[in-house]
Amino acid sequence: MIRPRNRSRWAAAGVLSLVAVAACTPGGDEGGGEGELVWALGGSEAKPGGVHQQVAQLWSEQNPDTPIRIEVLPDEADQQREQQALELQAEGSNFDVLGVDVIWTGEYSTNGWLESLEDVRGEIEEASIPGAFESSTWGGELWAAPYNSNAGFLYYRTDLVDEPPTTWDELCEMAIEIGEQENIGGFIGQGSRYEGFVVNWLEYYWSDGGELFNEDQSEVLFDVDTATAATEWLAEAKESGCLAPGFNTAAEEEARNEFQSGNVVFMRNWPYAYGLIQEDQQSPVRENFDIAPLPTFTGEGTISALGGFNNAVSAFSDNKEAAKDFVVWAATNEEVQSMLAEDAVPPTMQAVYDQFADDPVMSLLGEVLAEAKPRPPSPQWNAISVEMQREFFPAYNGEGDPAEASQAVQEFLQSTVE
Amino acid sequence: MATTSTDTKRRPGSGEGAPGRPRKKEMSETTLGKVFVAPAILLMALVALFPVVYAFVISLQAYTGRQREGFAGIDNYVEALTDERFWTSLEFTLIFTVTSVAAEFLIGLGFALLMNQAFRGRGVTRASILVPWVIPTVIAAQMWFFMFNVTPGFINNVFGLGDFSWLGQSGWASFAIIFADVWKTAPFVALLLLAGLQTIPEDVYEGARVDGAKMFQRFWYITLPLLKPAILVALLFRTVEALRVYDLPQVMTGGAFGTESLSILVQQYVVRTPDPGLGSALSTITFVIILGVGLIFVNFLGKELVIGGEGENR
Repeated sequence: MIRPRNRSRWAAAGVLSLVAVAACTPGGDEGGGEGELVWALGGSEAKPGGVHQQVAQLWSEQNPDTPIRIEVLPDEADQQREQQALELQAEGSNFDVLGVDVIWTGEYSTNGWLESLEDVRGEIEEASIPGAFESSTWGGELWAAPYNSNAGFLYYRTDLVDEPPTTWDELCEMAIEIGEQENIGGFIGQGSRYEGFVVNWLEYYWSDGGELFNEDQSEVLFDVDTATAATEWLAEAKESGCLAPGFNTAAEEEARNEFQSGNVVFMRNWPYAYGLIQEDQQSPVRENFDIAPLPTFTGEGTISALGGFNNAVSAFSDNKEAAKDFVVWAATNEEVQSMLAEDAVPPTMQAVYDQFADDPVMSLLGEVLAEAKPRPPSPQWNAISVEMQREFFPAYNGEGDPAEASQAVQEFLQSTVE
Repeated sequence: MATTSTDTKRRPGSGEGAPGRPRKKEMSETTLGKVFVAPAILLMALVALFPVVYAFVISLQAYTGRQREGFAGIDNYVEALTDERFWTSLEFTLIFTVTSVAAEFLIGLGFALLMNQAFRGRGVTRASILVPWVIPTVIAAQMWFFMFNVTPGFINNVFGLGDFSWLGQSGWASFAIIFADVWKTAPFVALLLLAGLQTIPEDVYEGARVDGAKMFQRFWYITLPLLKPAILVALLFRTVEALRVYDLPQVMTGGAFGTESLSILVQQYVVRTPDPGLGSALSTITFVIILGVGLIFVNFLGKELVIGGEGENR
């Protein structure tokens, strides 16, 4: 029994303890051990056993005072960015090094989330391939150190295809014919409604001579007719059975699974899939596939969207100096960059490509990267991308008009430069 | 007798027996109650009310990206309400809510009646019916994505449907999401209704049986009316949750093929293509819709409980 006098005392104590609990709630700032760096990145190679983990381990062995640990983010780029944005918007210091996708540089730096790397610009520029270096800059300033570049390949079945197609129309003809013969799907890529679809769509659009912006992104060069043609081609490909049945719900991994299990003739994917398919002892295609540059509409050359990510130092890190040392090291250390190359993760160091000229993936990459186009790393890129997904995705799925979709995207792009 | 009754009304230990201490005015029962409830209310206000109010404040500001530009008045609301995207996502959210809650209620009621019967293996049945509800929604969503998607196509394999693209076309994409939600939360409804069923005393049924009521009549005239408060609670919980659905469509379709829910739209403007003003306006609108629906239910529920309470006293 508590006496009434004491009751109010108990109540007061209750309120007090509540306040105390609120005051003691940690701000989520655990940060691991003293001096430990946290590297926030996603994708299959960031998971245990992946090459980025090995890179982190190498650094930790060489720098026991400032070891680095990977915080594994989700597989999809959109979700990785959300995770980072949530932390950075709250000015949290949990992430020291950020794996920044090539299209986020503008937005992150405009938001003041990144530490400038201007003071180490010289050595980074010297070591890196130009496309990757360009994607690390915004507004003429260096915000990240190139680490991992990327470009699209055409994967094809050598047991079914003699010569890889050089035009998209040719690809579809072969996909339909062989697909019917073998009773498998034709072409698979990244057709689900997300950033990956925009990358795939841009490769069709660019390969027909289309452009988005001029050099300094002050003017829109978007061509409605070319965009309509590219979208119509894709819609027709879906209609005619050139696209494999799971195309419009596939991201990278769904596409890879299909190709790896022998269910499709062609696949558009990044180089990472090459090693994984080869290592898979169960895969019926592991000895029956090869890679080629992506086709174009004209049959000349190749074009690919430049992908990959660069390492940036968080402006809210408690350990900026060590973090900066790490990103420079990862960009300019030949051992690190060779480790990436050996795992078919495209490095950004020019010297490594020369060194790996005999490797099929690296030599093709060297060829393709020279022609790869970066998506504009504008601070508004996400809004542009969402708009393109909203317009072109229904249009190719027969739920919208390609011409109207192209017109709408043109107007949206125009609104971002005004 | 009169003295004892006043004594019992006076709470024990009330100052009279302690002449040495300064006499303080006693708190009344209600005041004391309020004091006790205060910490809980404070905590609720902090956790629940603050974000709502804060979102409303933000929704009145203009933003470019994440940078605040100034006061916007109701501009964000005008923009949200004139955007076709808002109405399509509202439409999907409402269709999702009505169909999924209806299906969950019917299936959940069936489960509850089944679980309420005495039969061998009842414990195992109860436990197994509850399994889906225990699985985190995101994981369930990812699982159903694999089940429905053309690749690897488990459902197509089982039913021999070839390459039917459940998630890759309008209509069926919504169906798949609703199906996954029903699978996931019908057990939750069943659990709530089962709790309700167990409060119905057996002798009411016995009386009805003596009066010659058939099984259906017993269900219609006894079970349903007495279960009404539990039904309303279950429907309230499910409706409110369904109106803010996010994870299922996000994971299963990413909002493609007309499966963009209000919450996905809100999330986009808060995180993906940041416009906190517009995002907060959308989330405030969502809140108002949910609050409205919630109030309607609570209104019914309140009356029900009052009537039920009187019934017990009689």
